[in-house]
Amino acid sequence: MRLFFAILAALTPLWAADAAGDEFFEKKIRPVLAAKCYSCHSAAVKEPMGGLRLDSRAGLGNKKLLEAIGYQNAALKMPPSGKLADDVLADFRRWVEMGSPAPSERAATAGQESFWAFQPVRKIEPPAVRDASWPRLPVDRFLLARLEEKNLRPAAETSKRIWLRRVTFDLVGLPPARDEMDAFLKDESPGAQEAVVDRLLGSPHYGERWARHWLDLVRFAETNGHEFDNAKQDAWQYRDYVIRAFNQDLPYDTFVKEQVAGDLLPQLRLAADKSFFESPIGPSILWFGEVLNSATDSAKSRADQVDNQIDVISKTFLGLTVACARCHDHKFDPIPTADYYALGGIMHSTAMRETVIDSPFQRAAIANITGLLDPVRVRRIDHFQPRPGDDVFEDFTGADFGKWTAAGQAFRNAPSQGVVNSGLNGALSSVGSLTSPGFKMPKLWVHVRMRGSTLEGPDKNDVRVTVVADQHKSIHFYPAGKQGWEWRSGRMTKEIGRDCFIEIVDRARDGYLAVDKILISDNEQPPPDDFVEEPWPIHPVRLPESRWAMAAHDENARNAKVHLRGDHKNLGAGVPRGVLGLLGDSKPPVGEGASGRLELAQWIANPTNPLTARVMVNRIWKHHFGHGLVRTPDNFGQTGERPSHPELLDWLAASFVESGWSVKKLHKQIVLSSAYRMESRPAPAAADPRNDLLSYMPVQRLEGEAIRDAMLAVSGRLEPALYGVSVVPHISRYQDGRGKPVSGPLDGNGRRSLYIQVRRNFLTPMFLAFDYPLPVSTIGTRGVSTVPSQALMMMNNDLVTELATSWGRTVAISGVTIEGAIQRMYQDAFGRAPEDWESREAVAFIGKQLTPVTGLTEFAQVLFNSAEFIYVQ
Amino acid sequence: MSSNLSRREWLCRSANGFGGLALLNMLAGQGDAATRAPHFAPKAKAVIFLFMDGGPSQMDTFDPKPRLTRDNGQPLPFRPPTTVFNIGDKIYGSPYQFKQYGQGGAWVSELFPQVAECVDDMAIIRSMVADHSEHTAANYFIHSGSGFQGRPSMGAWVNYGLGSVSENLPGFVVLESGLIPPGGMDCFGSGFLPASYQGTLFRQGSHPIADLEPSASSTGVAQQDRLALLRKLNAGVLKRFGQVSEIEATISNYELAYRMQSAVPDLLDLSKETEATKKMYGIGAEPTDEFGRECLLARRLVQRGVRFVELLSPARKGLDRWDQHTGLENGHRLNAKSTDQPIAALLKDLKETGLLKETLVVWGGEFGRTPCAQFPDKGNLKAIGRDHNPYGFTMWMAGGGVKGGLVHGATDEFGYFATENKVHMHDLHATMLHLLGMDHKRLTFPYSGRDMRLTDVHGNVVKELLA
Repeated sequence: MRLFFAILAALTPLWAADAAGDEFFEKKIRPVLAAKCYSCHSAAVKEPMGGLRLDSRAGLGNKKLLEAIGYQNAALKMPPSGKLADDVLADFRRWVEMGSPAPSERAATAGQESFWAFQPVRKIEPPAVRDASWPRLPVDRFLLARLEEKNLRPAAETSKRIWLRRVTFDLVGLPPARDEMDAFLKDESPGAQEAVVDRLLGSPHYGERWARHWLDLVRFAETNGHEFDNAKQDAWQYRDYVIRAFNQDLPYDTFVKEQVAGDLLPQLRLAADKSFFESPIGPSILWFGEVLNSATDSAKSRADQVDNQIDVISKTFLGLTVACARCHDHKFDPIPTADYYALGGIMHSTAMRETVIDSPFQRAAIANITGLLDPVRVRRIDHFQPRPGDDVFEDFTGADFGKWTAAGQAFRNAPSQGVVNSGLNGALSSVGSLTSPGFKMPKLWVHVRMRGSTLEGPDKNDVRVTVVADQHKSIHFYPAGKQGWEWRSGRMTKEIGRDCFIEIVDRARDGYLAVDKILISDNEQPPPDDFVEEPWPIHPVRLPESRWAMAAHDENARNAKVHLRGDHKNLGAGVPRGVLGLLGDSKPPVGEGASGRLELAQWIANPTNPLTARVMVNRIWKHHFGHGLVRTPDNFGQTGERPSHPELLDWLAASFVESGWSVKKLHKQIVLSSAYRMESRPAPAAADPRNDLLSYMPVQRLEGEAIRDAMLAVSGRLEPALYGVSVVPHISRYQDGRGKPVSGPLDGNGRRSLYIQVRRNFLTPMFLAFDYPLPVSTIGTRGVSTVPSQALMMMNNDLVTELATSWGRTVAISGVTIEGAIQRMYQDAFGRAPEDWESREAVAFIGKQLTPVTGLTEFAQVLFNSAEFIYVQ
Repeated sequence: MSSNLSRREWLCRSANGFGGLALLNMLAGQGDAATRAPHFAPKAKAVIFLFMDGGPSQMDTFDPKPRLTRDNGQPLPFRPPTTVFNIGDKIYGSPYQFKQYGQGGAWVSELFPQVAECVDDMAIIRSMVADHSEHTAANYFIHSGSGFQGRPSMGAWVNYGLGSVSENLPGFVVLESGLIPPGGMDCFGSGFLPASYQGTLFRQGSHPIADLEPSASSTGVAQQDRLALLRKLNAGVLKRFGQVSEIEATISNYELAYRMQSAVPDLLDLSKETEATKKMYGIGAEPTDEFGRECLLARRLVQRGVRFVELLSPARKGLDRWDQHTGLENGHRLNAKSTDQPIAALLKDLKETGLLKETLVVWGGEFGRTPCAQFPDKGNLKAIGRDHNPYGFTMWMAGGGVKGGLVHGATDEFGYFATENKVHMHDLHATMLHLLGMDHKRLTFPYSGRDMRLTDVHGNVVKELLA
């Protein structure tokens, strides 16, 4: 900290976009500020008055500056000691006319360029060590060299049993099966460990395990939270996207680029089966945040959403707390408020879109079938006249969709006779959406003249028109399903002015939707229904499934203005859209009409960005060793911790980039090391009280999801299916509130925990009890707390009891003796045989119960509750 | 290094085991309060928060507005701010009569005749201001000082700051009678604080907490048998793994859980309370039975050392909490009737037992209501309601170092905006923490690169409210 202030004190203005302006500022303005203002309005004061800092660019841009020093406003006369001289005031006016030039901002950046995290990654050779027999891999030499400095010895090599259990939980999140354990113990070849690691990295369960870690970072959730907890219908597609990305070892730089700008990349990535594009699913991360169902201040809601997007993107990919710069320049890192709003402009220029991501191959396959269907002829007579108070938002009389964006094939036909129709020319069986541009809702009532199929139950949402207000899918219009056209009406919960767009959505394979007019109106009643048309036949056809995503697109690209003190009603200067300036590299220009997401994606994923690779290798390391080389994985800035092994971190980061950003190769550099084979010790050495130097492997507790998955696995109830729509969570009588879903099955159909739907307001209690991260922002380190509800749950919960019963019964009917059953259950649960005394205790316990089956069931439950079940050495 | 700093340091640095330390203290029979100290001498040791979910109307309860009666049916003479529904600008005079009570002469409407008898113990704040017009954000705000999901609730902060003194009950208990506020359990969450501080919801009835008793499908083996075997096996685990403190805590946790299993039935067993007491709380009578039980349980929880007890409004058929957009006259009457006697009984009971001195009681909703009538044109007076209003509303506090017989602040003559001595929600939070012996600026937790507070970067202690 002292160093930081020393740097501040030594600041010299370094940049001079406008040398003359800067000189004017230094000569005429800064001396006055220093003499009259800084004592209340600068970083030198702990709490600047009114939050205004006149030693920051944002503060100098304050529009009220002239008003205040001009004593024009009785309530705001500055400086309070007396009005400035007239010639000084004239200087200030001239300076403001010049655009308030000032060199101050960049100074902080320049002064902190020496901060470790912003230095380029340097790959140095692994150091020499005294005990050359211990290291297996380069990481070992880095670790051992530091231990030897402190005269510490690495812990002894652990048993093969413990190693297999450790690496299996680490890589796939499940306990090793009995036959896997047996095979490994028998394999005495030097390549036995590598064979295991290759098998695990090749398992589809690997992607599931690491996808769940990743979901913690992007606050993955499948509902909006707040009052009604409405669903984010396609969120699960992103979960599957991440699983596939890990399983395919998608290069991490591509993974990053896709999540920021997957819809904008020059070459969209095809899925392995070629039926859809993967990359547009990536930007779903922008939309996982909470959404108010009835915002009263559109601008504030949007600003809050953008803040959350900036927070998640900067922490996840860069390990930076950029959101701290929303109200003031970052107090510790070289992130001026202007940089925050440069990112803000990018996010404000990006809109959500419910879209079809079918590949051309898939579209062709669908078109091949639908093309065979007969075109439909219709005849219409329309007497529509707008009434006073009616605004025709859209009547589809243009030759094409105009400003609407079409996705999928349902709306592949241009509007015809003033109607868009997803049932025309064989499109009946196709799916797709039309998205309007954003607009301010001018009136209270919306009327849509439409017709289409009425679907029942959970499919009801498949055919609809939706008004999305402040990101919330507020009002749905469903076709009445009668043969004729009908006006459907909706009321904005509240008056006018909310930020809205309209979606026309047909996700039904055997339904259609036609829309003729959309009115926005002061009239509560729709216009008279006088539209006559002949019905058309319906031909349901089975078609290949289309895939949907909660994607993004650039819209209405514009710069954001600095929100002074973070207040969206107090706007300062506009800031060009762009990336952060803290690396001192040149900012790529953002083209007119483009949000800048593509430029941001390329900047983050650039191999010369010193943060991106470091942050990711640190995350991977953390999940293998319990803590990162930097213990604050989401914060590599001043307030974060410094790396325990900076050279090792850089060596890993550089190797990671050289390997083509291969996460799987990175795992191998870590888990095949001697360090990863160390045994656990109960407590750190006095010379290294936090075990920063890693003289042993810390014991780690499994996460709630892994505990549940392990119970499913050992009880034989695990359903290993991959992917798909989430399973609705089981809801107990202890969970209540608005938006409560109909409960899903107690055992989640045996699916792994990451397939349980993440409903913000109904998170699964078992996960919550074990420190499940709230889907609020990036969480790179989960808490590990110990609360009584954990013990109560493991003792008494219905699911635990049911799985214990399954397990006990399965073992009981397999025909083994009680001793054999105990042997087997120990192998399943802990990867080892029971000791003699354990067997004796177990036999005695089981013998006391009514029947052997009951005994084994009860015993199974005790094993679930053993500390050995949830802790891994 | 102060003990506070070292604790924080420890929280930041230790990847594992916060709960461990707390737990070991609790097992030593002292709660985990021994690990904490207030910043200065506290007046209150516990809080009972009577959360009036939905937003009771200030001008119909504690803030009479003759102008509204006079101008009933007239349009408001100014353009009101955007509200959730934003319809109706015609003034609606209160349908209730007000009277003055107590030595201080505070005005209370006919809705709360029994609470009114306690006004000399209460500080009525007529100038509350909050930031959100929408229920959920407002609920998060009154609970956590932030309109977003996932921040620590007041009860979590208080327990984090002071520790629990209960050996076998959670330090933050939420009592409900069928209504969970919009926003759900996140209103009572621990956010970025350790999970041990999250509110525990006690549902109505004899099985208030999930998983407290063995599952119905369990074969019914004596739990003691299972625990006995578990103890032996876990002793073996400690040998195998070594004396890892986190594992020791996890093992000890079973003893605490087991004690909770007997502590909760003891808590719920009202048979040792006198019939007079139960009658005073309105237990066994309609419509006071449910909230009466909540209030009596709140007293019993505080007696057992629970730091923060929150009571939720009872469900009433045909009513949506206190959120009377329509049918305010009857709706508020029923809500008030369900809670008036129990609250008055709680205040009197706490006073008689001497607990009121060290128990802070706080009453209020996430916002107040508008002076204008919503849906005024449908002709039916009984159908009139009021919209949400965070710009000026009433809350009250009692006990725990609060100055009694005080009416603080004022709204304008329409009751729309707070005008005098505004008390922002952040100020209320700061004041509550102050009464508990904590400086709201020093009760911090490092998260996301910042030292987070219940009051964010705001809040001033309202000195006038202190006794």
